[in-house]
Amino acid sequence: MAVSVGAVAPAAPLSRDSQLAAEIKALVVGGERDAARDRYGDLVARQQRRAVRIAYQYLRDAHDADEAVQDAFVKVFTHITSYREDLPFEVWFTRILVNACLDLRKSRARRLRWSVPLASTKESAPTDPATSEQTPEQRLVSRERANEITTAVESLPDRQRTVFTLCHLAEQTTAEVSAALGVSEATVRVHLFRAIRKLRRLLEHKQ
Amino acid sequence: MTQLHLSDDRLIEVCLLEAASIAEQEHLGACARCDARRARLRTLLDDVSGAAVTEADAAFPPDRLARQQARILSQLQHDGRPGRLIAFPAGHAHEATVSRTRPSTRWIAAAAVAGLVIGVLAGRFGHDYSLGRPGGTRIAVTRSADAPELRTGAILEISTAVSEEEFLSQIEIAIDGPAAAALQPLDDLTPLPWEVR
Repeated sequence: MAVSVGAVAPAAPLSRDSQLAAEIKALVVGGERDAARDRYGDLVARQQRRAVRIAYQYLRDAHDADEAVQDAFVKVFTHITSYREDLPFEVWFTRILVNACLDLRKSRARRLRWSVPLASTKESAPTDPATSEQTPEQRLVSRERANEITTAVESLPDRQRTVFTLCHLAEQTTAEVSAALGVSEATVRVHLFRAIRKLRRLLEHKQ
Repeated sequence: MTQLHLSDDRLIEVCLLEAASIAEQEHLGACARCDARRARLRTLLDDVSGAAVTEADAAFPPDRLARQQARILSQLQHDGRPGRLIAFPAGHAHEATVSRTRPSTRWIAAAAVAGLVIGVLAGRFGHDYSLGRPGGTRIAVTRSADAPELRTGAILEISTAVSEEEFLSQIEIAIDGPAAAALQPLDDLTPLPWEVR
């Protein structure tokens, strides 16, 4: 469905990030690239935390997540003129980010195929979600629980993990995830239900 | 009330995607079992998101995010600009227009020219030497007298060649030399003219 920019009023008011993206697009189109870049810094700051959470959940490696997020932000600015102001910026950005993650996973798989495995090349991410107010016992339980959850999420098939991450962690609707991944909304729901059922099976009996 | 129990998928939708309808809210308020299921599911989802967020935030502290943002903006600053051309200094550029050949190429060319000059001079010297010999001149004259059909140019060519006697004497000297011993097996294999007949 080709919709000309501005021809159709959006159903819901655009988010602050979408408005910011529209401003940046206008600046780039108007030839004010330096000003656009300055404004883009604000947009990066607003989206960055969410982006690294998604990428890290997807890639499970801080270096790769860093690279994927950086690639995604650069791509967004490079192609900002193709952004449609009638759609939420978050959906567009998430789609680019997920593609960047997919590309990185492919290149990582190629890299691992030809490399000798070292003792541990993966950056050991801090997995201790404990807070300083907890007792040592509580921290131990929390750490174990976090490890169980991480293992359970990692055991999900790729598509289920992606859908779950976007719906639950990125707090996107199934319609937005459908647009971001290029699959039907019904497919998104099926993957989401299967993912949660599996997580329940893996985690509830351990509680 | 049993018929109104919420399915697992519906509970997921209620917890994650959309609000429960009024009827469902009433049911959840009245049915302890469904309410407990919903609470368990909420706890599970909260645990999962809490663990993921904590893990990601620990891997990306604020200073790392700041560095990442700086890298992104730095990359964008250089994006779209043409590569900077580094000009050669003027003196070097001028020298480059004088000669485009490499020094080694020039040496090869000079050596080839020198070889050609030496060859021509040596040929000239050898030509004069043979002409200076009385035998060579005599044979040339004799042959020109025996074969009147030959042109003058041909006679001069013959006169430059080594005389027959000299050629045969050179062969005899070579046969007596040590190098001939190596050719002896080959000579043994070769049939002699009278043997062929």
